[in-house]
Amino acid sequence: MKAWLPTLLAGRLVRLTWLLPLAAVGLFTLISLAPIDPVQAYVGGRSSQIGPEQRDAIAAAWGLDRPAAERFANWLGQLTQGELGQSITFNAPVMQVIATRLPASLALVGLAFVLSFVLGTLLGLTAAAMRGRWPDRVIRTLAVALAASPGFWVAILLVAVFAVGLGWLPACCAMPPGQLATEITLADRWRHMVLPVVTLSVVGIAPLVLHTRQSLIAFLDSPAAHHLATHGATPLRLALGPGLRHAAGVALTLHLAGAGEIFGGSVLAEAVFAWPGLGQATVRAATGADAPLLMGIGLATLLFVFAGNLLADIAARLADPRLRRPA
Amino acid sequence: MVRPLTPLALAASLLLPAPTEARPLVLAIGGEPAGGFDPIMGWGHYGNPLFQSTLLRYDAELTLVGDLATDWTLSEDGRVWRLRLRGDARFSDGTPLTAEDVAFTYNTARAAGGLADLTVLKEARALDELTVELELTEPRITFVSRLATLGVVPAATYGQGYARQPVGSGPFQMVEWREGEQLLVEPNPYWHGGEIAFERVSFVFGSEEAGQALARTGAADVVAVPPSMADAAPSGMAVLHVETVDNRGLAFPMLPDTGETTDVGTPIGNDVTADRAIRVAVNQALDREALVALALNGHGRPAMGPADGLPWDNPEAAIPGNDPTAAMATLEAAGWRDTDGDDIREKAGLRAAFRVLYPASDSTRQALALGASEQLRGIGIDAQPTGSSWDEIGALMHSQVVVLGWGAHDPSELFYLHHGDYAGVDYYNTGHYANPVVDARLEAAEAASSFDASLGEWKAAAWDGETGFGPKGDATWAWMVNLEHSYWVSDCLDLGPLQIHPHGHGFPITHDLPSWRWTCE
Repeated sequence: MKAWLPTLLAGRLVRLTWLLPLAAVGLFTLISLAPIDPVQAYVGGRSSQIGPEQRDAIAAAWGLDRPAAERFANWLGQLTQGELGQSITFNAPVMQVIATRLPASLALVGLAFVLSFVLGTLLGLTAAAMRGRWPDRVIRTLAVALAASPGFWVAILLVAVFAVGLGWLPACCAMPPGQLATEITLADRWRHMVLPVVTLSVVGIAPLVLHTRQSLIAFLDSPAAHHLATHGATPLRLALGPGLRHAAGVALTLHLAGAGEIFGGSVLAEAVFAWPGLGQATVRAATGADAPLLMGIGLATLLFVFAGNLLADIAARLADPRLRRPA
Repeated sequence: MVRPLTPLALAASLLLPAPTEARPLVLAIGGEPAGGFDPIMGWGHYGNPLFQSTLLRYDAELTLVGDLATDWTLSEDGRVWRLRLRGDARFSDGTPLTAEDVAFTYNTARAAGGLADLTVLKEARALDELTVELELTEPRITFVSRLATLGVVPAATYGQGYARQPVGSGPFQMVEWREGEQLLVEPNPYWHGGEIAFERVSFVFGSEEAGQALARTGAADVVAVPPSMADAAPSGMAVLHVETVDNRGLAFPMLPDTGETTDVGTPIGNDVTADRAIRVAVNQALDREALVALALNGHGRPAMGPADGLPWDNPEAAIPGNDPTAAMATLEAAGWRDTDGDDIREKAGLRAAFRVLYPASDSTRQALALGASEQLRGIGIDAQPTGSSWDEIGALMHSQVVVLGWGAHDPSELFYLHHGDYAGVDYYNTGHYANPVVDARLEAAEAASSFDASLGEWKAAAWDGETGFGPKGDATWAWMVNLEHSYWVSDCLDLGPLQIHPHGHGFPITHDLPSWRWTCE
């Protein structure tokens, strides 16, 4: 019955086998070309205490004195043994850096993903069902305004209103300051998640609202919908009944395919909210020209986006049987 | 999540009077060491190493006092330090700290290729339980900075993973480090330095904005803030401006342009700034008070040299500035005159013009470059402010004037900035300055038999009455301003006397953290 699935997966697997090496080479080239000297970045403000000889020692200790091609070959060699190399910024194996930070990011991104999907689809459906009336206009204006707002600005605004102004929610961090992880209740954790998750959701919500609205309108204008309407179905019922299936497929595809953007947005949100995730680590790795860590994060992100796209294709085929036939 | 004990504990906490000072101290001052808390890789060089203690330490006046060491001597030839350790120092796991641990720390750090520069150390040896000897390859008095910054680690348990679970003999022990978010520490019960007023100290990391938001919600006690925000302290907090030697100045190319280039082909030399009269005139003309007002909102002080107010600074070497008349007289006497009526002076067909490079991303340096340019136009020098990337600055810094910044609690900076051996090396002596007398003074300072004895040589290198690298001598730099580092500090917190801070805003304020006190009940 699901004969299309193995074909799809096999095709994607083939794509991954050339995409990964290509991305690795591309990433490494970019990092090597970046105008940042990793040793200088590592030394940072301590120039006056680190003499030139010690700089050479640092470069030697981290293999930064070798030519780029050799460094890449070394990295590949480690990769074949299942190692992603050592991060100079964090003085730890890349695998460990990613493993300790990924859960925090995934929690944030995952929740934001679900929240923005539910909110975006519902708002889109409502707008379409109320087409032309004031709820539609309010939702559309909101969507356009959000699409035009940079994520960090939304974050600062939310902190100013809900943390500083009203004092309802914590201004930063994943947990209250001054307390151990073991002393913190589940409620505390949830409270700290609210603002970062909302920020991140809001960033990806606008296209979803507008697309859902548009695809539902297309359905509502179709002969099928007119037929149902003449039999007494109200627009709201149409929207949440048969319309939902039409719109949700499109929305899910769009949303899954856009998962990379939420992941990207998490870099900003994590910086503003001091969220201890992979986004923060990415910023530090980039400013420090930390090649092994950047490669590790880059490839992990690639897999994440790739999986998102694959799931989007599967979801689209599940929602719309017409796509299952080979083109 | 609910444990059976919780109601009981709750009831108990309601019945018992709350213990005083139970509130954790919360600091949002940045400075998270991404690589962890391993002194051997460079942790602890600014501020307080928290978990480890050092052989010596600088007090608030930047004089060296003992910490782990009770007595220390330097051999006649300046190559062997012998230190006697205190007997009561213990690591936070309860094991005693011995000379073996010190020797292990120094030998390991020398070979580690981290951010602790011990290239001059030949060998560290434990002579007995409490005596350690550090032998250098050559006399180098600035090695005392290492004695005051390198935290001692336990030889028995040091290894992979130490950076994330440090054990040391310092005032605090780590309770929890949630990377990228928060570090929680508690007093080390075995610390030899006395009582600490806090049961727990929390360092919150993350963005500057996060720290400010925490302060506004009353959740943080000390917050590092940019100067532009400083005056807007939330209620319950006061603003604190700390003097620093985090300085900014104009670095001059010292050689004439002979077409010579560096190894990578970037030009060396500038015919205008190679003339001492130009460099002295710039020093005479600059109104540094005005630059502080313009570029730092008034939160800073004029800079006269690379180490204003530090023990090795020589105030005699400075030229006060804000004296355009004297500057113009200097230029006239050297033959720089405006002959074509464009208000810019010339000499033998050469216009008194150069670029002043600054990193375009740094608004403070930009304001300094623009302000200095405006002031120099008044005496007939065309200094063209030019925003660039660090990349571009790296290529042009040997042939154009650059706004650079330094400032460390370590006189070896004077050596790196002014010794001929460091001409064109990294960002140190960008102007390719070389004066045999100054070089000899700097070498004599490093070869001095004691730190106090070296101070006179450092000062003489800046100005000895006849020559020096300072403005009265060769005027290799025109220093402009020393920044102030701004903090919001809870009204309930007494930080005691503060050091002059080095380059680097934030963590240095923790230097005397163990002696901070709550002042409110």
